[in-house]
Amino acid sequence: MPKATQYKTNSVIYFQGDVGDKIFILKAGKILSKSTDIETKEEINELVAPGEFFGVKSALGRYPRDESVMVLADSEVLLFTVPEFEQLVLSNTRIIMKMLKVFSNQLRRMHGKVQNLIGKGQSKDSESGLYSIGEYYFTNRQYKSAVHALTRYLTLYPAGKYAVEASGLARKAGQGLSRTDSTALFAAAAQEMDDEPDFSPPSPAPVAAPVVGSADPVAAKGFFEAVALANQEKYLDAFKIFQKLVSTNADPEHAAKAEFEMGRCLVHLKKFDEAIKHLTALIQKYPKHPDLKDALFFIGRSYQGKNDRTWARNFFNKILNLAHEDEPVAVKTRKALKELDGSQE
Amino acid sequence: MSLDLSVFNRFAVTRSAGDIIFCEFEPGDAFYLIQTGKVKIVKIVGDVEKTLDILNPGEFFGEMALLEEAPRSATTIALTDVKLLEFNRANFEVLMQGQPQIVLNLLKLFSKRIYDQKRRFMILTLDDVQARVADVFLMLDENGARPMDLTDNSRTFANSVEDIAHWAGLSVSKVSEVLKQFVNQRRVDIQPGKIIVKNIMDFTRFVKSKRQE
Repeated sequence: MPKATQYKTNSVIYFQGDVGDKIFILKAGKILSKSTDIETKEEINELVAPGEFFGVKSALGRYPRDESVMVLADSEVLLFTVPEFEQLVLSNTRIIMKMLKVFSNQLRRMHGKVQNLIGKGQSKDSESGLYSIGEYYFTNRQYKSAVHALTRYLTLYPAGKYAVEASGLARKAGQGLSRTDSTALFAAAAQEMDDEPDFSPPSPAPVAAPVVGSADPVAAKGFFEAVALANQEKYLDAFKIFQKLVSTNADPEHAAKAEFEMGRCLVHLKKFDEAIKHLTALIQKYPKHPDLKDALFFIGRSYQGKNDRTWARNFFNKILNLAHEDEPVAVKTRKALKELDGSQE
Repeated sequence: MSLDLSVFNRFAVTRSAGDIIFCEFEPGDAFYLIQTGKVKIVKIVGDVEKTLDILNPGEFFGEMALLEEAPRSATTIALTDVKLLEFNRANFEVLMQGQPQIVLNLLKLFSKRIYDQKRRFMILTLDDVQARVADVFLMLDENGARPMDLTDNSRTFANSVEDIAHWAGLSVSKVSEVLKQFVNQRRVDIQPGKIIVKNIMDFTRFVKSKRQE
């Protein structure tokens, strides 16, 4: 149980530099906290407000007291041990939140002061900083990291001052990665943002990697029948027909469409890794595919299916950058993002 | 800390060794609790990637993003395959309701970090380079385990010269020079993989005198 203690005028509760494990609340009276500004060495005098905690950080963090606390007029103080304090705040979580905010603020200010001292202060804005990280990893041939950083750059600053350089580097970094690496597709996504009109696409993507069984004698059935099957949620059957159409090049007119539909089927079949691989190859093969945004959406869905929220969010955000607000793909993307942010899966 | 975190499985994410978790300068909207594996925190300074810290299961990172809108202050990379719990502002409330103990641990972490930053500031504001290097050893000693024998004032540090230089805000060559002076004064012994301070109290007095100047 916390202990109520009386302090007389002019007494000292603790001195700066003392080691103590108690936490205090001023119930009534007048108490002064005296500390030294770490930069200017000026003395800081602050009155403790009634109901206010003091001695929290040093007790919780187990380090010497930062300030001296003096009693200006007879006061009543509640004394907590650390376990007692924990018990109190665990049943009143608003206190924890309030303190977290205060501490977080102090931490950031302190961090800023240290950074200034070692000369790494605000010399870089976030935009240039993020781009330079991508550049660093690219230069050091850490392509996976390069693609990650550059893609984040392009997602955050699609029209940024380094957008053209970033998409160029991301593309090259993507080529440096193995094609099977799912992160390579970010380079493909970056291509789409490239302003240079005469950019030649990377080496042709492999024809879709078939993963779900082999094709049945379904070649006779056409593209639209397969679409109909997919609409009836017969995704495996539909997938086989699309796969056949693509591999035999039986219907060149609908080849690109069929490849996209294969990806969509894979997502519905919950073959998320295969879907990501397939759609990656698709985007690389057809950078201007009419269903590009939907392809990105299904890649996002696949990551969501894999419970990889960060990457799912990356893709969804990318779609929102590309699409008009009222396009159907934007509407379903916003819905998907809301799902991600909410607590449901 | 042993807590039942199974209710948070829906916040679990996995990353493979070598994957970036987030980049410095990115806006942060999530913080992480490591369940399995190791995460390294790096910063690119000039043209070198510096490892600032390596974190283990049970440790947090990215927590500053939670309460303030500010860019990430370092890059985090999965050192091994890792399993993380990812929390953002929206589901922080869920964490708070379900496991306030974790949030309380976060509060303790903040307390400690504020002190660490202050301590670092104290080192960096020493003008005398010898005192700065000595104070780095004092800081490392304060953070280390207490020796069994309290009368033994010698301390052995497994830190590299690069580590010391990082904390002191000095170049590696400058720190090597200072360490050589300490060796000549018989205050320090350098052996492969370790630096031995012969009398930590001597460093305490030395730093104190320089700080008062």
